[in-house]
Amino acid sequence: MSQSLRPYLQCVRSSLTAALSLSNFASQASERHNVPEIEAASCPEVLLNPLTVSRNENEKVFIEPSINSVRISIRIKQADEIEHILVHKFTRFLTQRAEAFFILRRKPVKGYDISFLITNFHTEEMLKHKLVDFIIQFMEEVDKEISEMKLFLNARARFVAESFLTPFD
Amino acid sequence: MATLNWRTINIDALDPESPANFDLSTLTPAVAPVSTADVQALAGQIRQLLRGGDSEGALQGALENPPYGADERGKDVHLATIIEILQSIRQADMSPMLGRLYKAPGGTEALDVLMKYIYKGMAHTSAPSTATKITPQPTGFSQVHSSRSGEGGGQAMSVLLSWHEKLVEIAGPGCIVRVMTDRRTV
Repeated sequence: MSQSLRPYLQCVRSSLTAALSLSNFASQASERHNVPEIEAASCPEVLLNPLTVSRNENEKVFIEPSINSVRISIRIKQADEIEHILVHKFTRFLTQRAEAFFILRRKPVKGYDISFLITNFHTEEMLKHKLVDFIIQFMEEVDKEISEMKLFLNARARFVAESFLTPFD
Repeated sequence: MATLNWRTINIDALDPESPANFDLSTLTPAVAPVSTADVQALAGQIRQLLRGGDSEGALQGALENPPYGADERGKDVHLATIIEILQSIRQADMSPMLGRLYKAPGGTEALDVLMKYIYKGMAHTSAPSTATKITPQPTGFSQVHSSRSGEGGGQAMSVLLSWHEKLVEIAGPGCIVRVMTDRRTV
């Protein structure tokens, strides 16, 4: 792991651990409803101050805590247009399968590439430190995945171009 | 016939008793308003301490007087002051200095304020970057350049990140929780 990635992930880890202290909280607006307050935003007093952790302006994590839910948005590193397209395709692939991931949000928050929504039901069902580990692992893997895909893409493009141009040689 | 679709009206917003209209000022402790000139005067004093080599005194002075009651400009001035102090302190001095601040009277409050400024610093200097930053892919040896671009503000961030790590070691995760729950924002 590179030198500047470690403190970044460590910071995300401690911020997430602090933010994931959730409790059950029924909706105050309508009876017998229980909605994630960060999404409903119907009561301002249960929303907490959002936190931003950033490594540089292209890589950051935005954590919006509330009493019964936390929304975590990740901006994945995109150095050039190819990475931009790859990130878009990759996150689209994941968000289309959001049901299988439980905590994945179908649509990212504006300005970010992928969002997670963790509610108190998730923290009751799953282990909290494993949830944090999952997010951290996702962040580690996604950078690796994107740069790997980019290398494959370039190698393939070179091969295609070479075999296309051989008849004109 | 009204042009407004009455089904889309949010009636909760019109009801003074509804939780949507909760008065947030009842949760905020009273803070004295501070003018931007006062914040700037304080920043001048702190810079003098910093120039004199007393970075610990400068940090303590800056953390003891957070301008909760100031407007956006005053808060930005104080944020810039604190970031400047943090960047002037060497990595090896961070932990002992934080330990001394923690033991001093009112130390936990000071460290909470520092945590608020670290998060604000990370949110602030990373203003939403525009899509125009993305450069077209140079053909061929693209992966050679890829690590270099996209490091905007990385240096300032890594300072804040290492401060954050040291601070959590000393003040614990409760410090982050207090940043999230405190309505007095910096």
